[in-house]
Amino acid sequence: MNNKIYSLVIGVVSVILFWIGWVSLNPANKKAMAQFISVQNLINENVSKRTKLGGLVKNGSIEISELNQLECVFILKEGDAELAVNYNKTRPDLFKDGAEVIVTGEYLNGIFYADELQTKCASRYEGDLRNESNYNLEEIDI
Amino acid sequence: MTPVAGSVALNLAFGCSILSIITLLIYNRTSDHRLFLTGQRLGLAVSFFVFIATFTLSYQLLISNFDIDYVARYTSFETPMIYKVSALWAGQSGSLLFWLFILSIFNTITIIQNQTRHHSLMPWVIIIMSATQAFFLILTNFITNPFEPTQAEFVVVNGNGLNPLLQNITMAIHPPVLYLGYVGFTVPFAFAFSALVNKDTGVLWVRSIRRWTLVTWLFLSIGIILGGWWAYQELGWGGYWAWDPVENASFMPWLTATAFLHSIIIQEKKDMLRIWNMILIVLTFSLCIFGTFLTRSGVMSSVHSFTESLLGPVFLSFVFIILLSSFGLMYTRIDDLRSPRKIESVTSREGGFLFNNLIFVVICFAVFWGTLFPVITEAITGDQISVGPPFFNQINIPIGLALLALTGIGPLLAWKGTSNRKLIQKFTLPTLLALLSALLFIIAKMTGYVVISFSLCVFVTVAILSEFVKGVRIRKGKFNESSIVALYKMISKNRSRYGGYIVHLGIVLMFIGFTGHAFDKEKEFGIKVGETEQVANYNFQLTRMYEQERSNHYAWITDLRVTNLSGDFITSLKPEKRVYFHKNPDINKRQPHSELDIFSTLNQDIYSIFSSVNNNNDTAFIKIMINPLVKWVWIGGYLLAFGTVIALWPRKD
Repeated sequence: MNNKIYSLVIGVVSVILFWIGWVSLNPANKKAMAQFISVQNLINENVSKRTKLGGLVKNGSIEISELNQLECVFILKEGDAELAVNYNKTRPDLFKDGAEVIVTGEYLNGIFYADELQTKCASRYEGDLRNESNYNLEEIDI
Repeated sequence: MTPVAGSVALNLAFGCSILSIITLLIYNRTSDHRLFLTGQRLGLAVSFFVFIATFTLSYQLLISNFDIDYVARYTSFETPMIYKVSALWAGQSGSLLFWLFILSIFNTITIIQNQTRHHSLMPWVIIIMSATQAFFLILTNFITNPFEPTQAEFVVVNGNGLNPLLQNITMAIHPPVLYLGYVGFTVPFAFAFSALVNKDTGVLWVRSIRRWTLVTWLFLSIGIILGGWWAYQELGWGGYWAWDPVENASFMPWLTATAFLHSIIIQEKKDMLRIWNMILIVLTFSLCIFGTFLTRSGVMSSVHSFTESLLGPVFLSFVFIILLSSFGLMYTRIDDLRSPRKIESVTSREGGFLFNNLIFVVICFAVFWGTLFPVITEAITGDQISVGPPFFNQINIPIGLALLALTGIGPLLAWKGTSNRKLIQKFTLPTLLALLSALLFIIAKMTGYVVISFSLCVFVTVAILSEFVKGVRIRKGKFNESSIVALYKMISKNRSRYGGYIVHLGIVLMFIGFTGHAFDKEKEFGIKVGETEQVANYNFQLTRMYEQERSNHYAWITDLRVTNLSGDFITSLKPEKRVYFHKNPDINKRQPHSELDIFSTLNQDIYSIFSSVNNNNDTAFIKIMINPLVKWVWIGGYLLAFGTVIALWPRKD
């Protein structure tokens, strides 16, 4: 490789690495990444920037608007900490009581307004085996 | 075949793999040919025992033997036959056995194919392949054995069944094709390692593996495209690529392998870039193992993730050993690895290849960085950061566009260097047409990356087609052939060159599809029977909503009549809301699933999702997405595969 090509290679790689570093580290780049924090820290520190939370959907907490079924409020439970989450988009198929979810959005006046909701894979595929020996299929109401 | 036969076969395979390695290591010291033959046959025996284990598990899946934990977890009596077969690679231990199975096929082919050639390279090739088999045999024998008996406090009368998301024909095909790609890179890596040990890093090992690499690359490419197709058809978020860690895991080795495919042409023709090619194949193989680790260890949370397991440290140790031994060996062979020739000019084809290689590797680094950024940040600062698609898109769109430009520039450059006169002659037409089209796109109110991307697509298409036209003209003048005959003969006499150009055209079509994403539109709404909702330039009328019980699920089905704003009928869409395992008394164990319906044209896709139903007031909640140009991604994929097959097609001589 002659010096001219060598310099050009170094130049191109430097520019691209600078670009990657800028996107990674620029704090103004809010859309690119979200900080993962605990529900308790979010409430204690009243964090207002875009964050990601993980936890379980509290049993019986899902409320879906009668008028618009896309409007949904539920309680996210992480350890002892609980937080009301508002989500107004199509919900994943695996979203239900007890589901493990990750939500992304912003915290405002005690409510977490999520614009992304992800569910983890159904635990039934990894967890306990089915015990069908003690129920009668014919008696089950759909 | 009993499950015990499977376990015993895996044990024997492990024993044979270790014996094969030891025997061949002794052969390397003694040169006793009998030891080489013994090591070779032990290598074949490993494959034989792995075949027995794989067929045993497949048979147990087919006969629903729920005494085996794996069978009980991934199949049930209701699981259709094809998905009982695909359950072999649905779970962790089965998929690792399947990896081993494919590796054993490749091992057998490599040994048989090279019985009378590459004598100097083969001992170490077999050692490396047996060592890789031994690694996967450690996993399947001692860490996650697919023949583990079921341990439950009750009689397991039926299995869990396969995840409904995986009950899709594309998903039955996608993993094996992807694995053929992942596993296939073991062979070029083994040849490269062997060349390093033998201090024979010239063109021999490159010639030995070039076709093999191309086949493997084709499988990896098709596997990735099929994965995108499955996500688009099945997951219901309207896209085909989400920069999920598992998607990234397959994309990273693809990037380095693509760079490798280009740069070995330089080594084969000019004996340049020896060190670079070694680095690329080591990285590609390591990334294949790392990708399997990401997919199977559960270290990252994604739709593909499986349960947390002990696999992580073992996998990472193996990757560490590969990198340490390969780079350590390269360091000791540095004099042999110095290429006798140097790249002389930036405007040479070698220069074009070099920059194309750099960009592939830098994109790979960016994807690797983004995938592991959360882990690195947490280790340094304690904060957990999540990196989503905007991060990857921001970084990769400009770099990807530079790569697209090189797709057109490279084929126009001459070996050694291109004179200024030739540069002007070859670049004038594509550049002028690209600039003209950019002007038209701006007039059509397109902006930014969209204009750049479409204009570059024009540039590359014109550049490559001009190469075809030039070649046909020369043949017509020289041999007095018709255009069709000249085109056919030109391609058949230079298959790898023109096959490569067709692959480049496939990439252009895929970029057209990617760029269409900038024009996506979507709307979510509730609708009752008889009502109409407008999305973009279409009206959607719900004409019917009904229910059906089917063999393995219960379904709510909508009938949406789609018309344009003038009232002309376009299509009828029938998205469904299904509940699998609907007879399970435990409501939490029933599995809801949205079955999409897509109306696809060259111009755009109308993508419909039935989100939920309110039975109290007969309202269906529907999401409609208008996704322009998506079909070009799949057409580009077909063209890519077609071009690769042309490049691979053997010549009569």
